[in-house]
Amino acid sequence: MSGSVGFVGAVRLTLRVVVRQLLTRGRALALVVLGAFLALLSFAVGSSDRVEDPIEDGVRLLDLAGFTLLVPVVALVFAAASLGDLREDRTLVYLWLRPIGRAPVVIGAWLGSIIISLPFTLPALVLSGVLLDAGSDVVVAAAAATCVGVVAYTAVFVLLGLLVRNAVIWGVGYVLMWEGLIAQFGAATARAAIRGYTRSILASITDVELNLGELSLMSGIAGALIITMTALVLAVVRLGAMEID
Amino acid sequence: MSNLPPPPSSPASQPPPPTADAVAVAGIAKPIEGPVMVEAAGVTKSFGNVVAVSDVTFQVGAGVTALLGPNGAGKSTLFRMLCGLTPPTRGTVRVLGRDARREKVVRGRIGLAPQQDALFDRLTAHEFVRFAGETHALSGAALDAAVAESLSHVELVDQTTKIVGSFSKGMRQRVKLAAALVNDPDVLILDEPLTGLDPVQRNRMIDLFHDLAERGKCILVSSHVLDEVARLGSNVLVISQGRLAASGDYRALRELMDDRPHRIRLRTDEPRRVAAALIERGVADSVEVASTAVVASTVDVDRFGREAAPIAVEHGAQLNELVPLDDDLESVFRYLVERRR
Repeated sequence: MSGSVGFVGAVRLTLRVVVRQLLTRGRALALVVLGAFLALLSFAVGSSDRVEDPIEDGVRLLDLAGFTLLVPVVALVFAAASLGDLREDRTLVYLWLRPIGRAPVVIGAWLGSIIISLPFTLPALVLSGVLLDAGSDVVVAAAAATCVGVVAYTAVFVLLGLLVRNAVIWGVGYVLMWEGLIAQFGAATARAAIRGYTRSILASITDVELNLGELSLMSGIAGALIITMTALVLAVVRLGAMEID
Repeated sequence: MSNLPPPPSSPASQPPPPTADAVAVAGIAKPIEGPVMVEAAGVTKSFGNVVAVSDVTFQVGAGVTALLGPNGAGKSTLFRMLCGLTPPTRGTVRVLGRDARREKVVRGRIGLAPQQDALFDRLTAHEFVRFAGETHALSGAALDAAVAESLSHVELVDQTTKIVGSFSKGMRQRVKLAAALVNDPDVLILDEPLTGLDPVQRNRMIDLFHDLAERGKCILVSSHVLDEVARLGSNVLVISQGRLAASGDYRALRELMDDRPHRIRLRTDEPRRVAAALIERGVADSVEVASTAVVASTVDVDRFGREAAPIAVEHGAQLNELVPLDDDLESVFRYLVERRR
């Protein structure tokens, strides 16, 4: 006869199975290629003699290719699948019908998504920062914004995986339409988009002016964390209320 | 160890559940010996306009209880509600007097082998069952022993290196069963657990279910195969089109089914002559005659089987085929449902 699993134990178990299920060769290869493409682009910009301001142009490139494309896409691929795939292939029952709470399942899936997403984003963006040859601030800014971006995006996409089927398609729509387009319209919409915060972190560390990236470093981090916490709480509520196949 | 008290016979916070007699739809009810372990009271489940389960009430205690019904009858939906995986639209379900959807401690006393073939395909059988044990708070030597015993029950002890994604359907089924058994559950809910198993494994599993039942466990097993249910246990719940058509002792149900009118088709070159003889001798209650066949209705199938061929020979007719038309489950359920009205 079994008892209940503690919070940390349940997080660890979920994290372990999610990581094991998520990391497929196809996904890894595709995302490594995407990261290599960003590094190659950065090398091209860094070695070009037609660049007038290497810091500003480098930061803009990182913002555009790194934080509009690589970070959200990697986070989407892994985080949306972390519980979304389990829900769709009907294996979620093996976590759901257990003497464990809903919160550790969500936290475990989120941490698992972060652990897998960081190796596909952080080295690529740090390397890009180095190849841009624009100073150490750009490298530090890229690393900090990547960490914050991955933490926030994975939380949002874990929630998305529990809300809708085919979450990757919905997620691509979200990244392109909301993060890429609507969030550009003004400060209010930028506050509701993670990109507004990663952009503020980039801008505040490098002193480069980026459109809608005028928050301080701490505000940028805090804003992203608020989105993260909100998404995680909603994911816990959703997991507890959903019907399991 | 669980801090859940022993299963109550009637939860204090709930109104008294209906007795076994009250749910004896077909008049074959078998009284529950010992405490009620699983109960459904007026349970209905709708998906939009589709009613999957309609006003189902039953109670089961320790022992093997078979949930019998054709595909699409609502068996899996009923099991999902019992496990808390989906809430009923109306009514209540209780396992060990608790709601598994809300109370996590009772989930530790349930073992479920779902119908779907889904497993964590990148784990080995050993890893999958071990994971199931860990999620039931087992650890150390107790976990090792539980995993070994569960894999032994399903004869997968030697499958430690191959991932379950490479397993056959039967092997995957056995992995699911091992995972359902690993926490030594008080209530075992098995949705079509014998599908994909070979005859030897089926026998072994059925023996295992009976062993567990003798240890006071409540085993709920769904099936759409009548003969399988006959071997699973004497207690059955028959569900058809989402409604409970009958509940109680299997042998009584079997007799009920044997007493119903049976339809049998005879293919012959002299259908009119054979039909008339069957009626004249009282072997058939009624007949329908076609160009090359007679469809006869009778309550005494054994006598019909004995006398039909000699009658045909006596009347110079060639008997080409003799086929029962309603020995399938659907017709049995139809009969039970019609009888209920």
